Amino acid sequence: MLKYLIRRVLQMIPVFLGVTMLLFVLRAPGVLPGDPVRMITGERAISDTLRAQIVEEYGLDRSLPEQYAIYLGNLMKGDLGQSFQKSRPVVDILADKFPNTVRLALAAIVIEIIMGITAGIISAVKQYSLADVLTTLSTSILVAIPVFWLGMMLQLLFGILLKRWTGGAFYLPISGMESYQFPAWAHMILPAITLASVSTAYVARIMRSQMLEALGQDYIRTAEAKGLSRRAVIWRHAMKNAMIPVVTFIGIDLGVMMAGAILTETIFNWPGVGLEIFHAIGQRDWPVLMGGVIFIVFAVMIVNLLVDLSYAVLDPRIRYGGAAE
Amino acid sequence: MSRRIRSIMALTLALALLVSVMGLGGCKSTDESTDETDSTSVEGGTFNFYISEPAFIDPYNLQESEGTQVGQAVFDSLVAFDPLTSEVVPAAAETWEPNEDGSVWTFHLVPGATFHDGSPVTAADFKYAWERICNPVNESEVSYHLAVVKGFDEMQDGTATELSGVKAIDDETLEVTLQYPFADFAYVVGHPALAPVPMALVESDAAAFSEKPIGNGPFMMAEPWNHDQYIKVVKYADYYGDLPKIDGVDFKIFTDQDTAYLEFQAGNVDFVQIPTGQIQSTIDEYGESPDGYTVNPGEQVSLGGEQAIYYLLMNNIDPVLKDVKVRQALSLAINRQAICDTVFEGTRVPASSIVPPGIVGQTDGDWQYAKYDVEEAKKVLADAGYADGVGLPVIKLEYNTGSGHEDILQLVQNDLKAVGIESELVGTEWAQYLDKLTEKTYQVGRLGWIADYPIMDNFLYPLFLSTSADNYSNFNDATVDTKLSEARQAVDEADRLAMYQDISKSVGDQASVIPMFYYRHTRVASDRVNNGIFSPNGLFYFDGVTLTQ
Repeated sequence: MLKYLIRRVLQMIPVFLGVTMLLFVLRAPGVLPGDPVRMITGERAISDTLRAQIVEEYGLDRSLPEQYAIYLGNLMKGDLGQSFQKSRPVVDILADKFPNTVRLALAAIVIEIIMGITAGIISAVKQYSLADVLTTLSTSILVAIPVFWLGMMLQLLFGILLKRWTGGAFYLPISGMESYQFPAWAHMILPAITLASVSTAYVARIMRSQMLEALGQDYIRTAEAKGLSRRAVIWRHAMKNAMIPVVTFIGIDLGVMMAGAILTETIFNWPGVGLEIFHAIGQRDWPVLMGGVIFIVFAVMIVNLLVDLSYAVLDPRIRYGGAAE
Repeated sequence: MSRRIRSIMALTLALALLVSVMGLGGCKSTDESTDETDSTSVEGGTFNFYISEPAFIDPYNLQESEGTQVGQAVFDSLVAFDPLTSEVVPAAAETWEPNEDGSVWTFHLVPGATFHDGSPVTAADFKYAWERICNPVNESEVSYHLAVVKGFDEMQDGTATELSGVKAIDDETLEVTLQYPFADFAYVVGHPALAPVPMALVESDAAAFSEKPIGNGPFMMAEPWNHDQYIKVVKYADYYGDLPKIDGVDFKIFTDQDTAYLEFQAGNVDFVQIPTGQIQSTIDEYGESPDGYTVNPGEQVSLGGEQAIYYLLMNNIDPVLKDVKVRQALSLAINRQAICDTVFEGTRVPASSIVPPGIVGQTDGDWQYAKYDVEEAKKVLADAGYADGVGLPVIKLEYNTGSGHEDILQLVQNDLKAVGIESELVGTEWAQYLDKLTEKTYQVGRLGWIADYPIMDNFLYPLFLSTSADNYSNFNDATVDTKLSEARQAVDEADRLAMYQDISKSVGDQASVIPMFYYRHTRVASDRVNNGIFSPNGLFYFDGVTLTQ
């Protein structure tokens, strides 16, 4: 197990080097257009002294390998450089945004797990019932609806129309993370539902098909023949086996969400990592972009590792690091 | 038990579906909020103001409208601008006078004014603030405001550490010596970036100061800037001028203007940008401000003209476009009204001068080729030796992608074709586009120009002086250069305006660029806002505002 863990961690190194190198190559003059100094200062003309100083400060006059080596050296010290646009350290910016992204991601994952798995199990156990039909229908629709549209419709319904219908007595916050009218958790409701919508539908569908497959297995019939209650059969036998693909999906999804959800974060004005990176791309803010991507790579790799490790808990037959028997 | 869970699950999923479907029908808002007869406008309350994330709110680098809006609330410069007439009015300086040729300016500060920490505002604080801007170490992008001050060049190239032209004679007297006479200098010092800062606080922790600036304005920062969320300011009780009637302003930061507009509709924001495509419906619902700037309940939509212009650049040293007749033909061929109507829903006005209306001394129509006249365009083109466009190479229309310029230039392309001029669109990314302008490797491009100060000089000098770095059209006329510097030295206002009018006309006669349209506001206030003024300079004035509680 420990061996496996070490191997996985070591595997992260080439992935990480590959990603940072790729970004540096993209940055090389001639690959992508645009003078970085102009991106910092804008269209107004600047003095040569100022230009020289900016070039010097950001190391723009050095060769690309040299810049890369310096960058890696600084990274080891936890320094991701200074944002071109905001005049703040990238580490500070990401440290500001990451907790917001995590909060939203966790809220969305909780919705995804509770709603998705429950709906999947019910529609599998009661195949072709009204509940099953409704689940299948609504999941199809949720998968098809664009996230930004769903988000705006939720804002309109719960933020504006509901407020009008109830004379201002009841409504939900539609943007931001805090306000005087609402506790912080209330601000999370609509963005979390929006972010969870598509994934919840997928989880429900995967869970349904996995459950149906599990319920048709011999060991289920054996369990029933032994006289176990229906509930015990479903929860203790079928569900546990059906969970592995679902856990994989949720794990990967969590990794993706950690990277920030650009659309949801934009619509709900949620100051997360995704939004920051999105801005950085538009403004050619390389330090933020690099820092953000490195950050995402780490987040995804670590979540994936945790998911792999969790298989052992779900299925005792899976063992890591040992030779094949 | 399990049946109940099942029904709940089914219900929840059905609800999710229902929500999506209901949204389809419910967009149009209802008129049910008119019963406000017993509510009154009183002092107090917090104004919720929409901005996008500013680049800076510390005066030394105030540049775009968002940061400047916050800066203006927290800081007072030497003078201010009347929100409607744009005239210079006293602010931190109660009086000022130039010497006889306008090369030395003396400002007398309001006695007893204090920063928000209680320390006095002195002439030395202005000197320190200005030197902070000019010191290249601070990488200010707005140091050009002070380029006219003596000692500026030495500070910029690092050979001096102070602005030799700025002297604090005593605590309340600031004397500024310029490199050459500049009669409009009082307008320059009205820019919010040139406000004083308390030296001790900046020196002790500049980073903290940039997050929570301590100013001398009517509002003070209630807490440090909460990035991407809000900037909260409250009334400063010891302000030397007239106290605001509201308690404070929450500058609510939104990334997406559609979201901000939804928050406005939900009643949580008091002043927002109207999203494209919703101008007319917003006017129908909230009523239009009679003067375009002052907003009151029922007159909430501000559509007044701004001190800004959108223009097409022509590279005056291009082999084809160096011919003045070709430039004139291009300018005459463009149907500006059609572009305003189709692309902008009428939120832009066709331009007939490079200087927008509202700038003192501006004369609409002084650019005689800035009009739509197909016959005249064909005639001028024929005079240039390209009858029906025969022999004229394909003109490249360059623009930066992703900001809607393509829609405009496509219409321009059709207009040019109608007089026989073939053109092609070349879209590049912003940074690369700027490189092309700087390297003078383009033919026709586009830019916008927003006034820093409401004077004609602010359009003519930077855009058409042959040595100006902002002169991307590469216009070069020695007579105009001379006239520009003469106008700056004309102390008599009437003489000066006449000189600028003459310059504007002569640059216009040479069709150096193509004025396209003047910008207009597209904002709406909530029905809580009384007597708010959204000035032509793009800043909202909170001075006389009251909120209906």
